[in-house]
Amino acid sequence: MNTRATTQASPRDIDGPLIELHDVKTHFRTPRGVVRAVDGVSFSLERGKALGIVGESGSGKTILSRSIMGLLPPKTIREGSIKFESREIGNLSRKQMRHIWGKEMAMIFQDPMTSLNPVMKIGKQIAEPLKIHLGMDSKTAWSTAERLLTDVRIPEPARRLDQYPHELSGGMRQRVMIAIALACGPTVLFADEPTTALDVTVQAQILDVLKDARTERNMSLVLVTHDLGVVAGHTDEIAVMYGGRLVEKAPTRSLFSHMKMPYTEALMQSIPKIEDPSHTRLVAIGGRPPDLVNPPKGCRFAPRCPYAREKCHNEEPPLEEAADSAGHLFRCWYPVGSPEYFEARERLTTVSAGIPVTIGDVS
Amino acid sequence: MTTDMTDIVNTTESPLGQQPPDDTVVSTAPRKRRIPKLGMLVGLIWLIGLTVLTVFADYFPFLRLPGVAVLVDGKKQLSYKLGPGDVAWFGVDNLGRDVFAMCIYYARNSLQIGVSSTLIGIAVGGTLGVVAGYFRGWVDRVVSIIVDCLLALPALVLAIMLISRLDDVKAEYAFLEWMTRKWQIILTLSVLAIAPLARIVRAQTLSLREREFVLAARSVGASNKRIILREIVPNLIPTMVTVAFTSLGILIAAEGALAFLGLGLNESWGSMIEGNRQRLEKAWWATVFPCLMLFLTVFAFNLVGDRLARRFDIREAAV
Repeated sequence: MNTRATTQASPRDIDGPLIELHDVKTHFRTPRGVVRAVDGVSFSLERGKALGIVGESGSGKTILSRSIMGLLPPKTIREGSIKFESREIGNLSRKQMRHIWGKEMAMIFQDPMTSLNPVMKIGKQIAEPLKIHLGMDSKTAWSTAERLLTDVRIPEPARRLDQYPHELSGGMRQRVMIAIALACGPTVLFADEPTTALDVTVQAQILDVLKDARTERNMSLVLVTHDLGVVAGHTDEIAVMYGGRLVEKAPTRSLFSHMKMPYTEALMQSIPKIEDPSHTRLVAIGGRPPDLVNPPKGCRFAPRCPYAREKCHNEEPPLEEAADSAGHLFRCWYPVGSPEYFEARERLTTVSAGIPVTIGDVS
Repeated sequence: MTTDMTDIVNTTESPLGQQPPDDTVVSTAPRKRRIPKLGMLVGLIWLIGLTVLTVFADYFPFLRLPGVAVLVDGKKQLSYKLGPGDVAWFGVDNLGRDVFAMCIYYARNSLQIGVSSTLIGIAVGGTLGVVAGYFRGWVDRVVSIIVDCLLALPALVLAIMLISRLDDVKAEYAFLEWMTRKWQIILTLSVLAIAPLARIVRAQTLSLREREFVLAARSVGASNKRIILREIVPNLIPTMVTVAFTSLGILIAAEGALAFLGLGLNESWGSMIEGNRQRLEKAWWATVFPCLMLFLTVFAFNLVGDRLARRFDIREAAV
């Protein structure tokens, strides 16, 4: 533990949340119009906690994490406030952000096959951030790199340092990515679909490595994924994104036991279950994600929601805290469990029994 | 349901039927890979052989000095007296000089000029291309306009114009004393090499800068300088090597062309061809052998360049 202390940023005693977002908007100008990829998201993340950001493709989850990191293409429209340790970082330039990247915030990307430089040795790639941020000389950086590879459980770390990325397997490369991200002891790690490109058996190992790294280093983790199964065991809180908006946010346990949003429910039902008989049709969410240039007027999920009513199409529900569980925020007029919900469900099951709508046993 | 099943079986069966020949191809492939393709091999052997002969020309006993007439029984063999044979392999020229020795010694100039102008072209064109492709914006626009202008001018006209201008410039400024004829040609040819190199490097940089590993490097706080030098340039090396080989061939041919037009060096394949072509019927060897040398050298560079381009999957830009 002592040896590792050299690679860690010194702990600071600052009260309050680590990251605080207020009404963050990230828009892109395109020939079709302004794409509202992230449209007014507010939340906060405590030190040492793990947050899962869940949503389907195009829901804005990746752009949200990159907005916090400040890793966006130039000429992006950015609004709202992003605070890191009570310091506003939303308006910092790339040059200023460079001192934060790697040292305070780091990111792991989806595809380990393309995120490593193919012509640079593994050791050199890990040593790079150590030299940039911690001013280590080559020799110390090299031995630290070896220790980092041991931390992410890569066998024969000394040999790996001298290898090129193409000599490693996908899971191995993702571990190298994690080692690079952990190199300077960041306070928060963004993992953007870290397991999507990997084998299912390797997925669990990678998630365990992340979990251990988090607890050992008291690091916060933001896990971006479309797979509720991934976030279930590895996060403290889950935020569900839809159409650029935060639609539900709750402690993991509370979200899985009392989900409020029909969208979250639909996501849950789309997970194939092992106890289902074989040849059970997979439940898909009908329709397609909303057009982020012209989002729907009311609730953004209303066009695809089986329980949607008149009000849902016209008025957008606010993000409210649930009455029955603290810290559980959701954005729905007729949440799962409300009388209107049961009524609509009743109606749907009797009318269209044959069609696999997004209805299932919630309890 | 059963019909579906048979359908599936039928469709999967036909590709399976073609499997055996595929298998044999697969099994022989690794063995063939060991040896580079024939064209590449021939090209490399020619280039290495020529380089060795040229560099160590002074130490080979079978090579005469290029400027001295061949003596048989103490008499100079003037005005193409000897054809290709035992005494002079490629015959002698008007002044009785050994054509073979001249071909080898003059290759020095051709290779030196080709290599140096390619290196200058890579240094300048590569830098322009990387900077333009990485930073985009107005830098890119300025570089692109310059490159497009250079490409729009006919290469030979540009070269002739530049060479004659360089003479005037040298006469005017004293500090340009070092600029011999050879340097003038090198500079002129490197100007020709800059444009295509800048263009292909820019295109490659544009695609590399969007790659995920560049974003990953940025996310750990690497500076622009570091990203360019550590992440992008190493990935450009295959491209640069490939384009260098192709352009070496072209530049050597261009050097020959300039010499043929009387704008180049006197000690060059091009000027040999020019000087002897009037007597082609009487003494074909004095013209044909330098032509062959030029042709084979350019051909060898192209063979190697093509092979590399295919190996690294580089689409050829207009060189």
